[in-house]
Amino acid sequence: MTAEMTPKERMGNFLSGKPVDRVPCVPLILNHAARVIGVPISEHATNGSTMGRAHVAAWRRYRQDLVTIFSDTGILSEALGTRLHFPPDDVPRFKAPAVADPSDAGKLTRVDPRRAGRLPVYLEAIRHCVSEVGGDVFVSCCISAPFSTAAALRGTAVFARDLYKNPGLAHDLLEKGLELIEDLSAAIIEAGGIPVLVDPVASGSVISRKSYEEFAHPYTARAFARIAALGSVPILHICGRTSTIIDLMASSGAAALSVDLISLAEAKARVGNSVCLMGNVRPAETLLGGTPDDVRREAAQCLADCADSPRGFILATGCEVPIETPPANIHALIETARTPR
Amino acid sequence: MAKAKGQIRPQEAEILDALARAVDLMDEEGAVAAAKRALDEGIDAYEAITKGLSKGMALVSDKYEKGIYFVPEILLCADAMYAAIDVLKPHLKARGGAGVSPVVIGVIQGDVHDIGKNIVKLMLEAAGFPVHDLGNDVPVSAFVEKARELKSGVIAVSTLMSTTMPGMAKLIDALKAAGLRDSFKVMIGGGPVSASYAQKIAADAYGANAMDAVRIATAWQEVRA
Repeated sequence: MTAEMTPKERMGNFLSGKPVDRVPCVPLILNHAARVIGVPISEHATNGSTMGRAHVAAWRRYRQDLVTIFSDTGILSEALGTRLHFPPDDVPRFKAPAVADPSDAGKLTRVDPRRAGRLPVYLEAIRHCVSEVGGDVFVSCCISAPFSTAAALRGTAVFARDLYKNPGLAHDLLEKGLELIEDLSAAIIEAGGIPVLVDPVASGSVISRKSYEEFAHPYTARAFARIAALGSVPILHICGRTSTIIDLMASSGAAALSVDLISLAEAKARVGNSVCLMGNVRPAETLLGGTPDDVRREAAQCLADCADSPRGFILATGCEVPIETPPANIHALIETARTPR
Repeated sequence: MAKAKGQIRPQEAEILDALARAVDLMDEEGAVAAAKRALDEGIDAYEAITKGLSKGMALVSDKYEKGIYFVPEILLCADAMYAAIDVLKPHLKARGGAGVSPVVIGVIQGDVHDIGKNIVKLMLEAAGFPVHDLGNDVPVSAFVEKARELKSGVIAVSTLMSTTMPGMAKLIDALKAAGLRDSFKVMIGGGPVSASYAQKIAADAYGANAMDAVRIATAWQEVRA
């Protein structure tokens, strides 16, 4: 009987197609980490050393198979000029767009991710986690994909209209977003992290397949080509519905897809042969609102549906673990992955 | 509610149809042109909205439910509708408000996603409800304050985020504490919200989408009348 693998050995083997001792488990512990060390969400969002400490403490508590650094999906657009406001104990919110008038797009300049906005917060948090626990677990950082970044440069509702009324501007903003994502990904990788692209605004709950095909997919694919060229693992998370676009997501160059509102059986049947799947215990109903037994039941169902997926399966939450999730429920999720079936 | 029914002339039917189609096809200029024609032809502004524009939004809503339209399309359809409403509004005759419950609408505190809420608002307005829009990120106390001012009616509250759902339960409790719960029907909606959650927090109804919200508000209206 071999000893239990460390999360790093497990994910390393898993992602390179070698045998693992059990299904990896990655609840998306993002802002919840602030609760683990009892700091306000705004401090977690603005202080790299606090954010790093929070994620180290969260990992020591839960020992999940991947650390996931994240504050909000506005942070990239903020580095380019979008203004956010910071409620004391909640995630930052959109306040004013970088590109209020289409002519503002020309003023966007290339920024240095080591200096711009709060991006240094992420980089410091990554370095802290890597130096503290990086021997035992990989550290990832979730950043908005080009579509969600462009939407935040313009304001989501305005950007949605641009897709029809000013597609040229939409493409310009997507290029700007992509440029920053490529630069930031390089900085994340240099700091020892793995960039994970998250694209909530491109979800099948928000835009059509046709819009996704024209405005999201090509840019995500280019970002992943760069991330792969930098020697990292392309991972794509889209929350909400993805049934309309799952095949496109799978052909973006992503090695793993993290999904939310789609049946894992369907995802496995449609794209399980080409990508690793990750999902999809319900964050609100089950993780936040359920009991540990509810979590175990739903997690077991995920495993039953998808653990045999040809390119592998990671047990995860469909979206961010809600900030106030009871720790017992997160433990219950991880235990389910650990329990032999 | 509606004026004494007359026969709809073929031309009137054609204009109402043009209004509906312009909304359905995201055609803002077409909607404005059809609204002007409606006024020129002496069509009642209210009818142009309820039998033309809102019929168009119903088509839009149907396409949304079927996965043909998504948020960008709905916004552009709504833009077309609003542009036509701007033309028609000055010609709306005062309807006296008799028996039409006011609706207080807002996105619960902690959430700024208001596209869905705006669509529900639009549909309720098109159906003739006076809507008091509190916007997004609305504290429970603001709902209660507005309810106290209006004395009775409907409260429609939404969120797109699971993390802010508990605010809806707090709103119900706060209405009870303020002695207003029996004077207001409460409907909830939004991505993570469900009928079972409505039941759990003792809201009166769950609206799955904008048309559903209108159906529910109208049904309450009819019971009350």
